[in-house]
Amino acid sequence: MLNPGVLLPVSICLPFVAALVIVLLGRAGGHGSGWLVLAAALGSVAALVPAASPGEIHVFEAPWLPAAGVQLSFHADGFGLLLAFIVAGVGALVALYSLGYMSGEDAAKVRRFYAALAAFMGAMLGIALADDLILLFVFWEITSVASFLLIGHRFENDDAKAGALTALQVTALGGLAMSVGFLLMGQVTGTFSISRIGGSPELVAGLLHSPLGTAALVLVLLGAFTKSAQVPFHFWLARAMVAPTPVSAYLHAATMVKAGVFLLGRMHPIFGAAPLWAPILVVVGTVSMVLGAYQAFRETDLKAILARTTASTLGLITLLYGLGATSEDSLQILNHTLYKGALFLVAGIVEHHAQTRKLAELGGLRRALPITFLACVIASLSMAGIPPLFGFVAKDSFYAEVLGAAYLVDRPLLQGAVLLASLATSAFLVAVAGKLTLGVFLGPVHQRQHDEHRSSGLALWPSPVLLAAGALALGLASLGHFTSDLVTATASGRGAEVHVYLLPPLGTPFYTSLLALVLGVLVYLRRDAVGALQERLAMLPSAADLWERLMTTTVRLAETYSRRWQNGSLRWYLSATVLTLPVLCAYALYAGGLSGRNVIVNLADMPWYGLLFCILLAIATMAAVQARTRLAAAIATTAIGFLVSMLFVVYRSPDILLTQVLIETVSTIFVLLVLVFLPPFRRHDMPAISRLVNVGISAAFGLTITLLLLLSMTPGLREPDNISVRPGGLLSLALAEGGGRNAVNVIIVDIRAMDTNGEITVLVAVGLCIYGLLRSRRTPSEPGQVQRPDGGGGPA
Amino acid sequence: MTRQSPIVRVIARFAVPLSVLVAVRIFLQGHDEPGGGFIAGVLLAAAGAMYMIAFGTRHAARVSWWRIGVVGLLLSVGTGTVPFVRGEAYMDNTILHLGSYHLPTATFFDLGVMLIVLGTLMTIFVELSMERR
Repeated sequence: MLNPGVLLPVSICLPFVAALVIVLLGRAGGHGSGWLVLAAALGSVAALVPAASPGEIHVFEAPWLPAAGVQLSFHADGFGLLLAFIVAGVGALVALYSLGYMSGEDAAKVRRFYAALAAFMGAMLGIALADDLILLFVFWEITSVASFLLIGHRFENDDAKAGALTALQVTALGGLAMSVGFLLMGQVTGTFSISRIGGSPELVAGLLHSPLGTAALVLVLLGAFTKSAQVPFHFWLARAMVAPTPVSAYLHAATMVKAGVFLLGRMHPIFGAAPLWAPILVVVGTVSMVLGAYQAFRETDLKAILARTTASTLGLITLLYGLGATSEDSLQILNHTLYKGALFLVAGIVEHHAQTRKLAELGGLRRALPITFLACVIASLSMAGIPPLFGFVAKDSFYAEVLGAAYLVDRPLLQGAVLLASLATSAFLVAVAGKLTLGVFLGPVHQRQHDEHRSSGLALWPSPVLLAAGALALGLASLGHFTSDLVTATASGRGAEVHVYLLPPLGTPFYTSLLALVLGVLVYLRRDAVGALQERLAMLPSAADLWERLMTTTVRLAETYSRRWQNGSLRWYLSATVLTLPVLCAYALYAGGLSGRNVIVNLADMPWYGLLFCILLAIATMAAVQARTRLAAAIATTAIGFLVSMLFVVYRSPDILLTQVLIETVSTIFVLLVLVFLPPFRRHDMPAISRLVNVGISAAFGLTITLLLLLSMTPGLREPDNISVRPGGLLSLALAEGGGRNAVNVIIVDIRAMDTNGEITVLVAVGLCIYGLLRSRRTPSEPGQVQRPDGGGGPA
Repeated sequence: MTRQSPIVRVIARFAVPLSVLVAVRIFLQGHDEPGGGFIAGVLLAAAGAMYMIAFGTRHAARVSWWRIGVVGLLLSVGTGTVPFVRGEAYMDNTILHLGSYHLPTATFFDLGVMLIVLGTLMTIFVELSMERR
């Protein structure tokens, strides 16, 4: 039988393949690309099913960069599978929804949208299942880039561009910090495997006792907080609401922002005992939670409200991780995904129907959108935490945790603050749920009626209805033991049996939850008064403005730096380069205890014609310096090159000779090609002092290089072992591993193929850049000339 | 570039094919003797430049050279991916034994290098020669 572990990379690859196919299909894909994304998502779900056997963790492992200790390892534990199923399942629903939602848009843009969506899905699956830190980071970055493309989907709109850029800046900054944190973790523990570090008490203890471990913790938390829009990075999420609604539902409710808290869950077994873990997470989580709910109540835009509540709930999950409540994190994650995904999709339907998302302009939609209304009611009730919905179960369990967590019980003052914040959050969420459902669907009809219906494309309601039904079903299933079992199996903290109840035992948690509900209804009834109070408190500086100012300052600093150092004067660049090299080399030589005294020069095997070439070389060099025209200088330089290659003849090194001659030929052609475009040649008159400085720089450069060359040829200083034919030497290695006698070439194409790989990529990139630059410069000035797709738009 | 004198054209007519042949030889011997993909690519580009000097850029500009570079990159990366898919490390080349003849898989990697060097250099040559003052 096929090992289910092998299917893990398959499920991750399917969406990527779909993205590639969409890109390659080009125009042939069009709106149908959405079906491809849907198929890929369903395929991923199917591939994950065999791995979901309780009590057993299926694993896929393959070497990736064995030299760096990086592995392609995927672990299908319950927690990872939970996120993976959410990603693929909600992904399928969102793709289905998009088929209707995006049907009115330009086919080329829709194609790009689906390609980015599919790539994002694959990357999220990777985050869910990756066990290797480096692998996790790679997928993490892909989601940042894909979300940039998706948020900026309507890039002709300035808001969309700004929103996408802010999201990318914040999440990429966090990702960068996180990558350093991961490297530190690997440095201290010697492995990048999450399960191996977390499973070994010695490694964890070593990490926590090392100062590098603390740094790693802070850096990793930065990554998690930026991704999950936690204070003080919460502002990007509200700005990202310029994205098309399926994107908001998928990235900013169900999946990507979950990656941050998911990372917290993954890191809890490792860092959970660190002294900084609980205080940071409790404070950040609590503040994010209450601030998000507070701001959600203030917002007037449907999607902005939902974004703020998302940040709030993510704060709640962060707080739970701070308290060490890892045995029911899956409950909160699943709950939020179901109701918030549904609400976002409902907001998209409302926007499509009413052409507005402003709360004040909406009302009375229940008759026009009855099914959507039903989905919205169920989802809102779940958000408000009202039985028999899943949200109630989650809220009850949360209060039980806040009231019972050992960390808080030991600190009554902090517990009071957290409890107050939780009550305020719940109250605001209840009020917001009321505003959403009652404000949009009940009351008098506000918005202009739209006769033209978007008839093309599929109906939008199935996806939100399914998600809302999930919230209802899981709530009802709490009557039995199904929900408890599900939460136990998918929690990040394994081993603890969890019980969740639809009919909870009467006790403080239940009464607190009830109190929050009453408070929420009160806030909703007095919403105008609360809103007026919020207006009066609004003079505090917002985090978004501070970030904006930080970015402007950064740009200004970069400009100042560039103007000073990158001033466009070739002479300045040359002096800087030519001066840096001898300084560095001189330091290295000094540190290594080498000087001119170590040089042993043996000119005995230098034939008379070698000497002749040297004299000619000196003459050519002087001619190059003294040349009065560019052409003369070019010819003299070429002569230098060919004379040097003659010296390779003298010393019988045919391969370098071959290279030198050909490179010399090609560079001569190149010089001749650009010669006509260069400005007239003129000699610079400069004051004697600059002249002296220049002579000094040149002399330092020449002397250092000469010394280096002489030292490299001095016997005793080379390491002969490295290149010998003896076992372990490069020559024997070349023959054994590469099957070639030309060691240099075998090193290039086989032994160090990774290096060459990087170099040729750069080479191709340079070629493409030159092509693009020269073409774009030329095309506007020749309006009559049509660019042919084969790239052959040359002058006829 | 304008059309050159008959002498240049006659020489180029012989020298260009000869250079291509030499490049092939240099490429094939690269594993054991001086040579290899990089040098062969440079030599081919030099032959291309000679062709352009003798017969003008019109024919050379018809080829989309950058695509050749990209194909080369795909070939090189693809060669490295094959062992990876088979469960070994990325870029872990092996030697194929075809009867008594041995063919290192690195040869395909090297072929990619040759195409990249050729494509990039020719892109630069063609684009620069099509610039106007």
